[in-house]
Amino acid sequence: MKKISRIIAFLLSAVILLTTGVLTASAEDATTAVNKKLILGTSAEFAPYEFHKRIDGKDQIVGFDISIAREIAKDMGAELVIEDMGFDSLLSALQSGRVDMVISGMTPTEERRQSIDFSDNYYMARQAMIVRAEDKDKFTTMKDFKNEKIGVQKGSIQEEIGMTISGAQLTSIDKIPDIILQLKTKRVNAIIVEDTVGTGYIDSEIVFADAMPTNSESYAAIGVQKGNTEIVNAINGTLARLKSEGAIEQMVKEASILAAKEESGNIFNTAWEFRDYYIKGIGYTLLLSALGVLFGFIIGLFIALSRMTNIRIVRWLGTAYVEVLRGTPMLVQLMIIHYGLALTFGVNFSPLQSGIITLSINSSAYLAEIFRAGIQGVDRGQMEAARSLGMTRITAMRHIVLPQAFKAVLPAIGNEFITIIKESSIISVIGMVDIMYQAGVVKNITYQGLNPFIIAAVIYFVLTFTLSKLLNALERKLSASDNR
Amino acid sequence: MPVITVKDLHKSYGNIEILKGIDLDISKGEVVVVIGPSGSGKSTFLRCLNLLEQPTSGEILFEGESITAPKHDINSTREKMGMVFQNFNLFPHKTVGQNIMIAPRTVKKQSASEVEVIANKLLQTVGLSDKKDVFPNQLSGGQKQRIAIARALAMQPHVMLFDEPTSALDPEMVGEVLEVMKKLAHEGMTMVIVTHEMGFAREVGDRILFMDEGRIMEQGSPEEVFNNPKNIRTKEFLSKVL
Repeated sequence: MKKISRIIAFLLSAVILLTTGVLTASAEDATTAVNKKLILGTSAEFAPYEFHKRIDGKDQIVGFDISIAREIAKDMGAELVIEDMGFDSLLSALQSGRVDMVISGMTPTEERRQSIDFSDNYYMARQAMIVRAEDKDKFTTMKDFKNEKIGVQKGSIQEEIGMTISGAQLTSIDKIPDIILQLKTKRVNAIIVEDTVGTGYIDSEIVFADAMPTNSESYAAIGVQKGNTEIVNAINGTLARLKSEGAIEQMVKEASILAAKEESGNIFNTAWEFRDYYIKGIGYTLLLSALGVLFGFIIGLFIALSRMTNIRIVRWLGTAYVEVLRGTPMLVQLMIIHYGLALTFGVNFSPLQSGIITLSINSSAYLAEIFRAGIQGVDRGQMEAARSLGMTRITAMRHIVLPQAFKAVLPAIGNEFITIIKESSIISVIGMVDIMYQAGVVKNITYQGLNPFIIAAVIYFVLTFTLSKLLNALERKLSASDNR
Repeated sequence: MPVITVKDLHKSYGNIEILKGIDLDISKGEVVVVIGPSGSGKSTFLRCLNLLEQPTSGEILFEGESITAPKHDINSTREKMGMVFQNFNLFPHKTVGQNIMIAPRTVKKQSASEVEVIANKLLQTVGLSDKKDVFPNQLSGGQKQRIAIARALAMQPHVMLFDEPTSALDPEMVGEVLEVMKKLAHEGMTMVIVTHEMGFAREVGDRILFMDEGRIMEQGSPEEVFNNPKNIRTKEFLSKVL
């Protein structure tokens, strides 16, 4: 018991140190951001603008947007830090001050100008339609796309164009490679995509259609927090220099070449080749789950006890906590903790911190119910006997009731741990580098739609299966000491 | 001064009144045996004495101090009042030795070596020295109850409360438990015993209380109550059980 409390104390202090360290670090960023670090927000799924690529065996985010960002950082004398996230999250990341600028092939629409400011345009692109090669003849004018199933990127300019095609059924998806897969697997029959981007995906299966959306020139500009004229001027200065040097066209060309596809291999080659990715992912998944369950355990115990006190308001709060957390999706809780707190209170948690907090409070609600059942399952006479010996309620709980309750609910706690390992995959949406996230990265690098996820599934299964076997062994050992 | 004084004790559960006014003095060294039909409130009365049941009204004094006063710290009183339950209520996750030592260790904060000596002595008293390191589920019912008595005695109480200590036992094990209780009585322990063992009550009791319908119907020495009961209810009850 002493040993366990010592371990818990150590972990607690470690996390507090971790947390305060990062918090103070980000506070410094806020004041000296432009001088020291320039944090770039981007959604690296958008070749050749920005995309993941392994160079010399290491995963890097590259593309001509990134090259431009490096020039801007260089001119500012700052170090460039890249934050990779979903395209949908970019605006809120900018508003909440999580990033200093957004370069992500973003078109400066009026709607976006409501919430953020933009630099001068640095690139012009046209929209294009991509269809399967065998369908090329079916689509010669834009009218042919009436009533078709069309894929677009969620929240993008292409989505708006898609809405103007009458009767079109739009499928809006976050990531371009996924939209390409939709087309190849015939879930949609055409996709709207920018020509610069589409070029990288054209192969024997899919081609540009002859028809193109009219008046579809679109521009890309750099987003910054509203009202930050200082950084806009600095960015515009760099952009003017690059334009006059003709550097941007050169960057686009280099990025397009770099984006050229890798050959796809079989699943075993993929697994071996990308083992470092998955191992890193396993590390974070286990860290997230273990800390999530540990803190969930501690919080859950307090909630369970608070639900059994005689003080009505405390009992009510405990019940409300459990019901709300069990009655809302974890994804929603994650969004509130990661983005909501940042937008409302300026509390910027790292993805790791947000992930641990979300998993902890989510599992604490379930563990609280498990503990409550366990404690109520202990014979009433145990508490009475302990109290009759002069023990206080707390002493009796600690020495007599809780040890018996824990032993009874150990299998249920084990199941919760297994559930958390699986559910931690949700944390990948805020850019936590867990197994699920890494599978997505590998998919984007290899353009394999299935294999990276099969590998992830196998890893998750091995983890949970091994764990459940270990728990069984532990249970047997504990009940053996019981001599039952 | 009486060790325990009970004044006009009432206890209700909702609308049902279990105890309808009990008055009683118990002197030091006295063995009081409570008998009566089931549902008469015997156990509830006993459990009120250490406040395992909260009385609805009335007052209980322990060694001159009111334990029913709102500010009273009941834990300190319970240290001096051992209790033995019908279902033993041994702690199944602790060994016999740990069962005996846990309360002195956690409540009185006595040192391990000190408590060890007490435990060994008590195990000898109840005749179970060889069971110190086994878990309760390896004991017979009679052995369990003897350990439960030892556990209560480890706190060195001034009073022992017994709530039907032999009711859950197989007949052949009743004797060994009563034997331990007799030894205690002879050593001068103040005891309040709820039991159905009439032979034991007659032999060990200094005073017999007959309870029915939440009241003490009759009380007196074993000879008076068993040989010459005055109350009609007492007569009825004794004619059924004797």
